[in-house]
Amino acid sequence: MLSIKNLHANINDKEILKGINLEIKAGEVHAIMGPNGSGKSTLSAVIAGKEEYEVTQGSVILNNEDLEDSAPEERAHKGIFLSFQYPVEIPGVTVTNFIKTAINETRKAKGQEELPAKDMLKLIREKADLLEIDRKFLSRSLNEGFSGGEKKRNEIFQMAMLEPKLAILDETDSGLDIDALKVVANGVNKLKSKDNAVLVITHYQRLLDYIVPDFVHVLHNGKIVKSGGKELALELEAKGYDWLK
Amino acid sequence: MELKDKLVSSFLAFENKGGLDLDSNVHELRLKAIQNFENQGFPSKKDEEWKYTNLKPLLKNDFCLFPETKNPVGYKNIREYLINEIESYTLIFVDGVFSSFLSDTTHEECDVCVLSSALTKPKYKMVIDNYFNTIAKENNSLAELNTAFTKEGAFINIPKNTIVPKPIQILYFSTGSENEVLLQPRNLVVVGENSHVQIIERHQNLSKNTTFTNAVTEIFAHKRAIVDFYKIQNDTNASSLVDSTFVSQKQQSVASVHTYSFGGKMTRNNLEFYHEGEHITSNLNGISILNGKQHVDNHTLVNHKFPNCESHELYKGIYSDKSAGVFNGKVIVQQAAQKTNAFQQNNNILIDDGASINAKPQLEIFADDVKCSHGCTIGQLDESALFYMQSRGIPKKEAKALLLFAFGNDVVEKIKIPQLKSRITKLIAENLGVQLGFDL
Amino acid sequence: MSKFTEDDLKKELETKEYEYGFYTDIEADKFPIGLNEEVVIAISKKKNEPDWMTEWRLKAFKVWKEMKEPEWANVHYKKPSFQDISYYSAPVQKPKLDSLDQVDPELLKTFEKLGISIDEQKRLSNVAVDIVVDSVSVATTFKKTLNEKGIIFMPISEAIQEHPELVKKYLGSIVPQSDNFYAALNSAVFSDGSFCYIPKGVTCPMELSTYFRINEGGTGQFERTLVIADKGSYVSYLEGCTAPQRDENQLHAAVVELIALDDAEIKYSTVQNWFPGGKDGKGGVYNFVTKRGLCEKNAKISWTQVETGSAVTWKYPSCVLKGDNSVGEFYSIAVTNNYQQADTGTKMIHLGNNTKSTIISKGVSAGKSQNSYRGLVQVGPRTKNARNFSQCDSLLMGDQCGAHTFPYIEAKNKTAQIEHEATTSKIGEDQLFYCNQRGIDTEKAIALIVNGFSKDVLNKLPMEFAVEAQKLLEISLEGSVG
Ligand SMILES: Nc1ncnc2c1ncn2[C@@H]1O[C@H](COP(=O)(O)OP(=O)(O)OP(=O)(O)O)[C@@H](O)[C@H]1O
Ligand SMILES: [Mg+2]
Repeated sequence: MLSIKNLHANINDKEILKGINLEIKAGEVHAIMGPNGSGKSTLSAVIAGKEEYEVTQGSVILNNEDLEDSAPEERAHKGIFLSFQYPVEIPGVTVTNFIKTAINETRKAKGQEELPAKDMLKLIREKADLLEIDRKFLSRSLNEGFSGGEKKRNEIFQMAMLEPKLAILDETDSGLDIDALKVVANGVNKLKSKDNAVLVITHYQRLLDYIVPDFVHVLHNGKIVKSGGKELALELEAKGYDWLK
Repeated sequence: MELKDKLVSSFLAFENKGGLDLDSNVHELRLKAIQNFENQGFPSKKDEEWKYTNLKPLLKNDFCLFPETKNPVGYKNIREYLINEIESYTLIFVDGVFSSFLSDTTHEECDVCVLSSALTKPKYKMVIDNYFNTIAKENNSLAELNTAFTKEGAFINIPKNTIVPKPIQILYFSTGSENEVLLQPRNLVVVGENSHVQIIERHQNLSKNTTFTNAVTEIFAHKRAIVDFYKIQNDTNASSLVDSTFVSQKQQSVASVHTYSFGGKMTRNNLEFYHEGEHITSNLNGISILNGKQHVDNHTLVNHKFPNCESHELYKGIYSDKSAGVFNGKVIVQQAAQKTNAFQQNNNILIDDGASINAKPQLEIFADDVKCSHGCTIGQLDESALFYMQSRGIPKKEAKALLLFAFGNDVVEKIKIPQLKSRITKLIAENLGVQLGFDL
Repeated sequence: MSKFTEDDLKKELETKEYEYGFYTDIEADKFPIGLNEEVVIAISKKKNEPDWMTEWRLKAFKVWKEMKEPEWANVHYKKPSFQDISYYSAPVQKPKLDSLDQVDPELLKTFEKLGISIDEQKRLSNVAVDIVVDSVSVATTFKKTLNEKGIIFMPISEAIQEHPELVKKYLGSIVPQSDNFYAALNSAVFSDGSFCYIPKGVTCPMELSTYFRINEGGTGQFERTLVIADKGSYVSYLEGCTAPQRDENQLHAAVVELIALDDAEIKYSTVQNWFPGGKDGKGGVYNFVTKRGLCEKNAKISWTQVETGSAVTWKYPSCVLKGDNSVGEFYSIAVTNNYQQADTGTKMIHLGNNTKSTIISKGVSAGKSQNSYRGLVQVGPRTKNARNFSQCDSLLMGDQCGAHTFPYIEAKNKTAQIEHEATTSKIGEDQLFYCNQRGIDTEKAIALIVNGFSKDVLNKLPMEFAVEAQKLLEISLEGSVG
């Protein structure tokens, strides 16, 4: 599904990604771990098409299509979803209004009709229940004044609504208490299928207890320095990163 | 004769009699200034910038323009107005004339001396030509008037890489030799690259007679210079002051002007900052505590012309009796001044019926990637806090003073000279009408 | 790159035609240009006005002649030549209409294009509409329904004939003839507008609405609106404005007076979409409007405005809070683009005790436009416990535009509590990326963010018009992040 080949990327002329290779197939769950500043968020932003980052070499290919020329919203329409490490506040725009716009814009891009209001409401309720989100929460301004945990839960709620092909979860577990973690992981697992894939970025093993990865990669200084199965995460938790340098 | 006519007609006599050099550039500047003043006249309430301050009653006085001191002033007369607890250079002027006897000047690491000699000595010609009257605004008719009659004041010239070892105190005294006196002191402060200076300025009337001081100060802060300028305004109820201070800053400099207004009949402070480089910081702090029929008008302008600069403005006012406060804070962010961070806050408390405040916090923004905000509040003391304190046995008067003190405290906190800080604290306590029983 | 860049947006915005810029070919009965006493008298005659009204106009004209056009606002424009304007232009038609069927079909088509087909309105919504084209009121719907409640809603020209005692008592009582240059001009030459009276204790069962439209070239439009809410009554009133696209500037100088007697409430909403001028700054309406309301005891007046049109706007809907416990509100969104200039805000004059006012002003500037908030909060020396809260936020798009705030705060009583806040911001790159990532393109994202920015004000509009207003915001702004 996703194929990243020798990806190099700069920001402000500073090279952050220094040749990443990664293959993710439909139905798989991959985890990326790595010390602070190693480039995990950068990788996810480059996949999502953030323009501040300049791809100097290599390519990101989604379902045999090179994404080089795709704008962020086009990538979203193609099924890439990024759960932000730091979700952005948009004052005055409610969660409901935002997700409604996102869904309808995506449908429009695919040549579909807008979702009738009734169906939209039903869908919103269903997904909100899945993530145990209070109805009142849906009419608050997007991310404004949300607690860390609420922001992350809201990201997964949007993911549930948009049903992406490839979901990238950038430290979605940080800021969540253990109950919330279970709810979020449960949400992600419910959405998992043979046809989609998940890329989890995390520092902790505990999320991986709930969202069990098929592969674990260690990112260090802009490169994947080790890959392995889920037991690698346990090893990292025990030993830290130093032994990999 | 009206004051304006009197001033215009005595200009020639002033220049001839004063032993001033009529071939100099300064003479040209004076000439132009008196013409500008003649054309513009004194501002009236019709001028938007003078909407809330009326000069008319003040201008009715028959001012003596060139007073002479009749009773000599000794150290004991002025001691209480000096901050003695610190070593400092002092520049002391009595009725517009420099008193070398009371002053402590220097020419060692830097020049802390008088403008009259700087204006005439060839040694300073370059400095005068480069700086004098270059930022005082032509459309400010009172500043023009001052320029026309410029004769004496402080001249502070600090070369590169110099940390002036002690603060400089500038004091202007009036002995009231005539019933009504007009004084027009003029200061020029040039601070070189990487240099640092602290200046304290004060105007004081030693008599019961009427004085009107029309002062102008020009401050130049070069690259990375740090300038702290403190203005103490605690004059008698017969004294009025129009103070125009212009600050020009080069890149990475930090200039702070603090204005403490506790006294005087009518005070108008024009304070203007002009930026000539990036990464400049400008700080404007002020506190006004007024009673009786006092009137203080703080008129500030920060003109952001370059990117990545900051300005922080904080003015507080406490108004009792029939006193009146005016705050007019203008912040302009020009198109090129992206990434400007401009912050302005003005908080006021009205204590009595009859006291008033007119505020006009004004933002003019022409650049999009900026952080600008202003806030303005008018209110009273928190009744529940007052009650809480009273219930703990603190008498109402003290409780009030304590709360008011706390209200003004963040402005006082910005004073970097500890001795000055405690002096200001004492003045605030006095003005709030309580004994200094607390030290916050 | 297939990405719709900001430059593309700018381009599209520039070529965006003024959506309502068409011109209806209706025969117009138009006065020759110029203004003098005879013209004033002729206008009065044309309308069959009683002598007191003619006198009233002449008095206004006398005052106006002596006045100078104000220059204090933060706007720059070529002053209209008041002798080059025709002061009366009425669509030619049968003088009295019994039903809509008699309205000129061309005119009806115009309304349809405006999306305010009267029939539609009648069927779908609960709105009574009075429509003023050029200078004359052409139709008032729902008259019967309103009559049953004793509500008077009619062109002011008719009210002068049918309810002279009310008009005489209140006309000019809040905005006197001598108030300001444009108000004086309006008082002398106004040709029509709406009149509304809600009797004691009556809650008006529907929104009342007036649509104004300037059609004829070289004319000025000077409508006069007078709304009186008697004790304990309630009314919600909406005005909408459009004008066709023309190269020359058109002048609009209206006066609106609101009177809320004891315990009454008036909600006055405006969606102003006069032609803003071309992308080069050519043409557009000069909108110089005086709006003021008076609140008696426990009364409330709430002004809500969405200002997207006009080349130059000069407008300060104000409240005189005369009665104790009265409340004034001002909610405003002003969007400027291209070469538009807006200087708008409010005055809250606190005279009664325990009076309260709220000001929420949102300014969005794009293109080369200038957007100013100008406001006055005044608390007199004998006014106890006055409260005001003001919030002025500006959103800038691009570095060619300006956002300015000129608040005047005057407090002369120690019990006054006033809070004023202002902020300036721009749309963040990270906000746009977040929206993009969820599949929302940049143009739509901007619309969404601006809507969010304006929400506190949009929420105050009657439901029927909130959607329309939202659309207008989008149209007038599309793109323009710089
Ligand atoms: N705008 C920028 N300009 C310069 N350097 C940047 C910029 N954004 C990110 N970086 C640098 O890129 C490197 C990688 O950052 P990134 O956010 O991808 O790390 P991360 O692995 O996600 O870290 P964390 O675990 O803390 O989230 C860091 O050294 C960071 O400082
Ligand atoms: Mg990260």
